[in-house]
Amino acid sequence: MKKILGIGLLVLAVAAGGWWIFLRDNPEGAAAKLAEAEAAVPLTDYPERVYWGDTHLHTSVSFDAYGFGNRLGAEDALRFAMGEEVTSTTGVKAKLARPLDFLVISDHSDGMGALQRLAEAPRLLLRDPAMQKWHDMLNESPQESLKATSEIIAAAAAGTLPDQMLNADDTGPTRDLWTEHLATIDRYDRPGKFTALAGFEYSLLPDGNNLHRVVMFRDGFDRTNRVLPFPGLNTKVEDLWAYMEAYEKSTGGQVLAMPHNSNMSNGLMFETTMSDGSPMTAEYARRRASHEPVVEATQIKGDSETHPFLSPNDEFAGFGKAGWQIGNLDASHPTTDEMQGGNYIREALKRGLSLEQQLGVNPYAFGLIGSTDSHTSLATGDEDKFFGKHTGNEPSAKDRANTPQNLGTRQGRFGWNYLAGGYAAAWARGNTRAEIFDAFKRREVYATTGPRMMVRVFGGFGFTPDMFDGDWVKAGYARGVPMGGNLADEGKAPSFLISALKDPDGAHLDRVQVVKGWVNPDGTTGEKVYDVVWSDMAKRKLAGGKVPSVGDTVDRAKATYTNTIGAPELRTVWTDPDYRAGQSAFYYVRVLEIPTPRWTLFDAVRFGIKLSADALADAVAQERAYTSPIWLGPAKAPKPATQG
Amino acid sequence: MTLPGWTKEPLVHFLAAGGLLFALFAWIGEPVDPSGRSITVGKEEQARIALQWELTNGRPPTDAELAAQIDRYVRDEVLYREALRMGLDRDDAVVRQRMASKMDYLAASAAETARPDDSVLQDWLEQHPTRFADDARFGFEQLYFAERGKAGAALAAGGQIKGETISLPAKERDAPRNEVSARFGEDFAAALDQLDPGPNWQGPVQSGFGWHLVRLTEKQTGEVPPLAEVRQQVENDWRSATAEARREEGYHILREAYDVRIEK
Repeated sequence: MKKILGIGLLVLAVAAGGWWIFLRDNPEGAAAKLAEAEAAVPLTDYPERVYWGDTHLHTSVSFDAYGFGNRLGAEDALRFAMGEEVTSTTGVKAKLARPLDFLVISDHSDGMGALQRLAEAPRLLLRDPAMQKWHDMLNESPQESLKATSEIIAAAAAGTLPDQMLNADDTGPTRDLWTEHLATIDRYDRPGKFTALAGFEYSLLPDGNNLHRVVMFRDGFDRTNRVLPFPGLNTKVEDLWAYMEAYEKSTGGQVLAMPHNSNMSNGLMFETTMSDGSPMTAEYARRRASHEPVVEATQIKGDSETHPFLSPNDEFAGFGKAGWQIGNLDASHPTTDEMQGGNYIREALKRGLSLEQQLGVNPYAFGLIGSTDSHTSLATGDEDKFFGKHTGNEPSAKDRANTPQNLGTRQGRFGWNYLAGGYAAAWARGNTRAEIFDAFKRREVYATTGPRMMVRVFGGFGFTPDMFDGDWVKAGYARGVPMGGNLADEGKAPSFLISALKDPDGAHLDRVQVVKGWVNPDGTTGEKVYDVVWSDMAKRKLAGGKVPSVGDTVDRAKATYTNTIGAPELRTVWTDPDYRAGQSAFYYVRVLEIPTPRWTLFDAVRFGIKLSADALADAVAQERAYTSPIWLGPAKAPKPATQG
Repeated sequence: MTLPGWTKEPLVHFLAAGGLLFALFAWIGEPVDPSGRSITVGKEEQARIALQWELTNGRPPTDAELAAQIDRYVRDEVLYREALRMGLDRDDAVVRQRMASKMDYLAASAAETARPDDSVLQDWLEQHPTRFADDARFGFEQLYFAERGKAGAALAAGGQIKGETISLPAKERDAPRNEVSARFGEDFAAALDQLDPGPNWQGPVQSGFGWHLVRLTEKQTGEVPPLAEVRQQVENDWRSATAEARREEGYHILREAYDVRIEK
């Protein structure tokens, strides 16, 4: 009797599965409908609106997110980003105060779904003792699960993952996960309202040095389902580029990659050589520049703009460095001073100019964005309700700011080292996959550390302040180039039309700066930070060449601030006073808010936690935005006429 | 032709499909005996392995690479069958849990993907209109003042009023509420909700930037669009909201066939 029932059950299961496949919407048909809807979205003549998004979000499909306890998938992630309420894995209800305009779910391609499979595998099929141990830990308790995940990350970094884990017949499960994922995001993509882009994270990690990239596609199911996410472990970045080239060639689609957490690459992210240590070739530089037009400058695991060692004259360079600067991703190898150059974006932009002088191609001509890298399926970068890096430190873990957060196994970083995470801002003509992707491709994007300040910059020649009396945005596009653009040297100093509006629901602005980097004829480089406009300029007069501090209204006992200092908007026309004819340079804008409480201070007040002395010292910060640079260089020779 | 009502029951579909598959398997016989000791990796299976490798790596595998993939496949299959032979699939809490959750998944999908027809979605739309309503839309002109006092004084003085400079649009037409909120702040959008359109300057209204005099020229409440325009969205919402209920439904269908006694 039991056996018959068993067979009956099996038949029912198979029938259900068959029925499901039979009745399922045809995702290819849905793709055609989506393309039609996208084509119907009205576009403005030039980008009039900035769109906010997160390009770096992990769900339960990521092996580490699962290990950290996350059980929310893509659907919850999308619903949350669109502004709907979801219940987090730990049972906390969460809703974004302000929805996002676009989202890239970027689960790790390595071991996609692997921890779930390891946790659920029959124990005796696991031949490796380490895997048996992890299997047990994953099933034992959330604490043990977290520990197992840290050990697995460390093993991946050290290259000691058991063969069975690396070589498990992964393509089958990955194919299923990927296909289902792509169909889901197509269902949630709403041209004109909310854009869901396909992507994954390529997690190259030689020796624990972080060389991760988020890979983002422009296309829908019909193209993206013709490939699988490319695994990172035991590959070279050139293999990723080859994969991207093959994708574009075989499908006619487009794809780009965005490096992140260069701060923990121990000098490898922005090397002056190729990845094997040999001198960089023009071809290598060209491939890097064309496939990696944007870099993620800031996220939960620290800020990668620059480091006080590299920029000793920049008094704001220390933001988001504590903890992260001690070593590589799993802190298995300490970071030394000579590694810093390859770790940070400003230095990379300078190296790019120097390499361009030798090779004729700039490998590091990239734009900047921020994102979260949240592993909770919840894309939020807000300080006042920080949702944690991963499920183990969601707000239900009340003392999370003070406790050590071991990503690897050897050295501690602390909860307060985490930033709340940033956002990506894209200037686009409409909210569609094509428009958002193309904004990234032409680098008309910028990074913020969470607040949604609106930042514009145009570079050109002969800009004057009276342009602000008219339609200066239109004039900026007509007479100059926006952020991310190239300006051909006209033998005179370039000028910049800059406007920064505060986050309408956030803090006032302290100052706007222009960061300039340049290359000298001998290949050496230089940098300088200019304060170009700040609040209360009449009162805050330069002292010793410096703008005096804006002040600080943060009440440490209540985690509040007031907008009684700073300004709602700062705008100016700035002309480079140190222009040298023939010198290649880049200019990007950095906007600083007035000091506001960090998530750690909000936590302390909300939960009645006493912060450690170190944590308290870092509990107030000046949030910021970084725009993509505008490059100034020799006018490119006009393209030879081709037969047409 | 109209079919009787019972033909529309998901349970009937479910059982009919099950019966069909049962007949099919009875006819073609057992596909593979997992306890047998012969493994054939057919050309079709090899092609599948090669294709998956190619999709990941962007090029076809070399003969050696393909051979290695096939070896791996065979190794897993051998170990899997030996494990079955040893009965490792029984008395293993994790396997039990895994298979139970697979059933859950299948039952839920079966119930879920009985494609909701328009009437189901229409009902859903009518039950939850606010979830799908278009944004309210506003047309307005605004003048900015950093301080409330100055805005109030300018309004009282009347005549040709001039605001202070800021990079915000002086005039918006047909702007959805979420865009107004994103640009001016939520307080400002909420204030517009309360104003009536008219030819006069109103305010001062507070925004994230300061104070504004507003001439509200146009105000449209968000309409609930017809189902055809928001079908996918309604379907997404319906699916995700009813998934859990459907899982339970699937379970109850199976549960009813059991006689369960819990001894005291």
